[in-house]
Amino acid sequence: MVLLSHCKRMNDQRTSSVRLTNVTKTFGNHTAVENLSLEVPTGSIYGFIGPNGSGKTTTIRMILHIFHPDSGEIEVLGTASSRAANDRIGYLPEERGLYKKMPVRRVLTYYATLKGLSGTDAKNSIDVWLERMGLQDWASRKVEALSKGMAQKIQFISAVVACPDLLILDEPFSGLDPVNLEVIRDAILELKQRGTTIIFSTHDMSMAEKMCDFIFMIYKGKKVLDGTLDSIQSAYGEDTIRLRLNGGGEHLQGLEGIKAVRDMGQYQEVRYSGDPQELLQRLAAKGRVSLFEITRPSLHDIFIRIAGPDAKEVS
Amino acid sequence: MNKISRVAITEYLTAVRSKAFIIGIIMLPIFMFGGLLVAQFAKDKVDIKDRKFAVVDRSGKLIATLSEQAIKRNQNGIFSNGVDAEKKQIRPRFILETFVESDGKSDGVDLILSERIRKKELFAFLIIESDALDADGSKGPRISYHTETPTFTDLPNWIEQVINDEIRRHRFLEANVDQALVQKLTRHTQVKRLGLTGVSATGEVIKAKEENKVLTFALPAISMFLLFMLVMSSAPMLLNTVLEEKLQKISEVLISAVTPFQLMLGKLIGAVFVSLTLSVLYLGCGIFFLAKTGTLSMVPGTLFVWFLLFQLLALMIYGSIFSAIGAACSELRDAQNMMFPAMMLVMVPMFTWMPVLQSPSSTFSRIVSLFPPATPMLMMLRIAIPPGPPWWEIALAVILTTGFMLACVWASAKIFRIGILSQGQTPSMKKLLGWLISR
Repeated sequence: MVLLSHCKRMNDQRTSSVRLTNVTKTFGNHTAVENLSLEVPTGSIYGFIGPNGSGKTTTIRMILHIFHPDSGEIEVLGTASSRAANDRIGYLPEERGLYKKMPVRRVLTYYATLKGLSGTDAKNSIDVWLERMGLQDWASRKVEALSKGMAQKIQFISAVVACPDLLILDEPFSGLDPVNLEVIRDAILELKQRGTTIIFSTHDMSMAEKMCDFIFMIYKGKKVLDGTLDSIQSAYGEDTIRLRLNGGGEHLQGLEGIKAVRDMGQYQEVRYSGDPQELLQRLAAKGRVSLFEITRPSLHDIFIRIAGPDAKEVS
Repeated sequence: MNKISRVAITEYLTAVRSKAFIIGIIMLPIFMFGGLLVAQFAKDKVDIKDRKFAVVDRSGKLIATLSEQAIKRNQNGIFSNGVDAEKKQIRPRFILETFVESDGKSDGVDLILSERIRKKELFAFLIIESDALDADGSKGPRISYHTETPTFTDLPNWIEQVINDEIRRHRFLEANVDQALVQKLTRHTQVKRLGLTGVSATGEVIKAKEENKVLTFALPAISMFLLFMLVMSSAPMLLNTVLEEKLQKISEVLISAVTPFQLMLGKLIGAVFVSLTLSVLYLGCGIFFLAKTGTLSMVPGTLFVWFLLFQLLALMIYGSIFSAIGAACSELRDAQNMMFPAMMLVMVPMFTWMPVLQSPSSTFSRIVSLFPPATPMLMMLRIAIPPGPPWWEIALAVILTTGFMLACVWASAKIFRIGILSQGQTPSMKKLLGWLISR
């Protein structure tokens, strides 16, 4: 594997790379982000989750100073001044955009030099990243000749080519096959090891659980979750039980204390209020129980509880 | 500044490396001079099929002259210049047929001859009334020409000239005026067209030079049209590139690295340099041609300076407008609709250049050439027409146009900033105005 030795190891003494304080942004009558405060610790992977239209992209654009907040303060990489830090931020938007008629190297050189790299540094960095992604033979080919996966990797390189201190990735894995997904994930983790702070916006809850040090959820413009996965799951309590019954989910019907049942195919996930031992006894009386695991709710489950159709209005 | 130049360089290199640019280099002069070349080429490609026409001469006094003149013309007036071997017929022969009315009856002659025209036996027919020569004009025209091809004017023009000459000769003859004297007294007198007499540095009087048609008509027209074509070949290109970047979601990546204003200005500067490259190419060819033909001294050097200045101003004005349209729209069709008002502004010089060329100092010319969207082309036209407008008008034009250009760039930047990341429906005019006044 090609190591990213050309990127200097970060030695940032700041505790947080991004700090938003009481930030509000409206578009006409619509409030996209309301009174939002958050702090992204330096060197962490910070997961942004939330349903479509909840305010994730608006928040990211405010961090990039593309949008200015109506009120509140934003500090990025130690500076509050507009765009001063942008050369140190890498950004991979959800909707990818590359010049189809341009050769790969020219596109990457353009993006790299816009981020302040000299021609020589840009060339070195592009060479390293193309080799890392296995695309060195495609450098002189036009973007339109690339497969979707290759184009995704080129887009990723365009975000990281300038060795950013802060990397904002909006759905970095969408459309990637498992092999390419591994390549990108390894690169992200290596960047993290070198001290890069990563904001990672995704709808893939399992990926967020695996990769993120912190999870932030925004819903209808308001912060509804912010913390480590552990703290979030703890806050939602151990009310989730995974079980596998011989008679399937039918035995669960009509049992007192069961709030919701999700059939996962091989097992059922149950939200239960009451004593789990009592439930186990009642189910054992009805038939054979081959799995009974008291667990914490998954991020996916928490997401659905907050933003699903049965969710209560966010206050 | 570094980022603006980076955007500008990329825009410039992308444009000049494209096939469209190479094709454009060839196509632009074709569009501009193609009409003239085709006209020159087609000059000798006229239909030289015989034009047979019947003449009903009820006066009996003009048919002989018409017949004689037609024969003379067919022998000498329808060939290209050159020695006999190289002579080539370039005009049709006019074949005259005398139509005699049977038993002096004139009823139905029109119909009979019209029917023959429909059958393609004749091209036209002429009816000369009996009092055609002595008519005092109170009865109206006494000679009528009929055809189903009124667009061919050579034949009626020739007939009119021959008949008028003959009638005039007749009238002088009846008045007993000597023909030789008539010719001497009615001889056409030419007026020599000259410029102004001047004084040299040593005090010598410099004689006025003869008017040069190239300098007075061709040079202003070419300057204006070249400027127009250069602007039109670069400014609308910005609409396409901005819209393409927006539709292909490239804008968001760019806007994370540069401000919308830096992006727009970089693109504008790139387009200006693309256009200037074309300018240098065409003006260089023009200067080479003038030098080779020994006419370079007829073109004032300052004209090139004005040309480049007005080209810059026009590109900044229309480039910023087209960039803003590209940024505001989300579909090519909407962009084309929105382009219409901008195109109307671009076309103002095309609608008004003829009266300006003929009377460059008229009130109309002054007003229209100080209308900023039209100033670059029309003031260029006026400057190229000797002696040119007074200096204060040029200064005022530059000030007004620079002010207008800055306003356009400012307004376009506002629209560009919001429009470049907006998705969905193309904004209404009201919404665009809202973007203009937004913080």
